[in-house]
Amino acid sequence: MTIAVLLKQVPDTTAKITVSGGRVDQSSVAKWSTSPYDEYALEYALQLKEAGAGDLVAITCGPDRAAKMLTDAAAVGVDSMLHVVADTTEMDSKQIQSILAAAIEHCGADVVLCGKQAADTNSGSTGPGIASMMGAACVGMVSEVMVEGDSFSALRASSSGNERVSVSRPCLFAFDKASTELRRPNVKGIMMAKRKVIETVSASDLGIDMGESQVIIESHDSPPEKPPGQKFEGADSVQTVVLKLREEANVI
Amino acid sequence: MPFDALDFYDVDSLLTEDERMVRDMVRDFVDKDVLPEIEHACRDGVFPDEWRVTLGEMGVLGAPLKGYGCPGLSYAAYGVICRELERGDSGLRSFASVQGSLAMYPIWDFGSEDQKNYYLPKMASGEWIGCFGLTEPDYGSNPGDMITKAEDMGDHYLLNGAKMWITNGSIAQLAVVWAKLDGVIRGFIVEKDDEGFSAPEMKGKHSLKASVTSELVFQDCKIPKDRILPGVKGLRGPFSCLNNARYGISWGAIGSAQACFDSAKEYSLSRIQFEHPIASYQLVQNKLSWMLREITKAQLLAYHLSQKKDSGDWIPEHISLAKMNNVDIALEIARVARDIHGANGILDEYPVMRHMANLESVKTYEGTHDIHNLILGRYITGIQAFTRETS
Ligand SMILES: Cc1cc2nc3c(=O)[nH]c(=O)nc-3n(C[C@H](O)[C@H](O)[C@H](O)COP(=O)(O)OP(=O)(O)OC[C@H]3O[C@@H](n4cnc5c(N)ncnc54)[C@H](O)[C@@H]3O)c2cc1C
Repeated sequence: MTIAVLLKQVPDTTAKITVSGGRVDQSSVAKWSTSPYDEYALEYALQLKEAGAGDLVAITCGPDRAAKMLTDAAAVGVDSMLHVVADTTEMDSKQIQSILAAAIEHCGADVVLCGKQAADTNSGSTGPGIASMMGAACVGMVSEVMVEGDSFSALRASSSGNERVSVSRPCLFAFDKASTELRRPNVKGIMMAKRKVIETVSASDLGIDMGESQVIIESHDSPPEKPPGQKFEGADSVQTVVLKLREEANVI
Repeated sequence: MPFDALDFYDVDSLLTEDERMVRDMVRDFVDKDVLPEIEHACRDGVFPDEWRVTLGEMGVLGAPLKGYGCPGLSYAAYGVICRELERGDSGLRSFASVQGSLAMYPIWDFGSEDQKNYYLPKMASGEWIGCFGLTEPDYGSNPGDMITKAEDMGDHYLLNGAKMWITNGSIAQLAVVWAKLDGVIRGFIVEKDDEGFSAPEMKGKHSLKASVTSELVFQDCKIPKDRILPGVKGLRGPFSCLNNARYGISWGAIGSAQACFDSAKEYSLSRIQFEHPIASYQLVQNKLSWMLREITKAQLLAYHLSQKKDSGDWIPEHISLAKMNNVDIALEIARVARDIHGANGILDEYPVMRHMANLESVKTYEGTHDIHNLILGRYITGIQAFTRETS
């Protein structure tokens, strides 16, 4: 039995993003990292593996630089890694989902963990899209998952607070931020990762024809500059400040 | 926010991928576990035990040693570990230097097979802490004249004497102690509970406050015969340990300097005086660019030395130069950074005064700045100037 965790490499949340010619300038991104929600998926995938639920494969679809993320995942205990090398910048969600679904099938995985959305595109469609292609149960907004006999028990956000659900294979869990600590690698893991080989394939190696992208990105824009902060002085301004905090900032 | 370390010439790109992964791991530990706690640790004068546990879990103790449960990393990786730890605090790096280079290394290089199998795995995992007893109250730069002595009593050795300034002394399970047996310096492994051994802590330090410093006192201390290090006699024993520790310090000091530079840069950009950021004034820019210059040179020096260490093509004088230079510039950078912070520079809200005070110790231990000058002077001229005697 195989568990797959899907990892996406995104600009680090601290990296400065510049837009030029209507596109995010990827070459100016100083630091690339694993998308934060995916890190929670990875942590729980490692816990499932340790609980004996199966071998763990980390899968990514992206350019060459994304391999670094797979090596990092190997250092914390992922058994094998699959890298579908592709330039995803102009692909639509469906194309990426079909690549990842084929990659999951290629690895023989029937349990998939991923982030609820990527920190760069924030579309949130990858998990549910793949689940529907796989014919798998899809559980979103997950903050915890455990093995429970042949099935899995997951905790997810619901309108009433939290909901615990029990799911059988095939299934996909899309992770929200969880309260668990993320693990740090150790030297042994790093040395092991050095020896693990990343399987590298292209979309056509996986036998998929993605067709044309149905969604064309017309342009990227930088978010509007934040208006400068407002300054108030003296006790007389308290009422105005309270009003502004309530009416404009909606914080009280 | 992860630390954005100054690396003007991108020297870290010369590291291997796994060396950079080790760097990121230690950097993350320092960001998340060390920096939030360091000022408390300094105020209380303690080395937090959780750090010992995590260093063991990360598997960085005794970094360049191979076998017996040791990490088996390159000297470049060991250097990077020291640099990242010292970016947190010199006391933390001192802990790791003493454990790896001064306590594990002599057992690894000069110990018996039984000693290696027994001690090294639990020291690499951090379960046991080691310390290194060379300096005595009356013999610092001149350890060859040490008084501590061992006597062969037939079925055991008897140790008498005292060591001073011993890092990790009171928290260690074992001490590697250098003492004279029939007038020849030998290494002995002393365990915490050995009869006649005590390790009272030295209090009142204004420097390396998060590091434990102790005396080691031996009063008719009985040591089993199998605790002598069989593989070395004379000053070569302690000096080969010091070579490794000094090498690590030459990297470590860069970490302190990077932390001070970073703080000075941020502070000078946000501090407004005479209506403009102080970073906009030429005098301040001169200070910052001088820091950049010295840190970059120190990085290149340390990296090149790491390659020499890894290939085995090095002499102790190479290490003397690096230890001396890099600590010297780090201390001066800390002082200038403190100046740039103005009055704020003396507060524990900023790391600069702590690094500055720490580096005063680092300048003195592992061969004082001037002792390294003398080592280089002897190398250049062939004339030793340590003593007036002409031996
Ligand atoms: C925080 C801390 C931790 C330490 N940890 C350890 C440890 O774990 N184990 C251990 O064994 N030791 C340790 N030491 C001791 C350290 O190694 C010694 O302090 C160092 O060797 C210097 O010795 P000293 O302090 O006796 O100074 P001295 O040798 O008395 O030197 C005083 C001054 O005289 C100068 N000087 C000495 N001889 C000459 C000369 N011939 N020519 C010109 N100038 C000279 C020195 O450069 C220095 O400026 C530690 C020290 C400190 C501060």
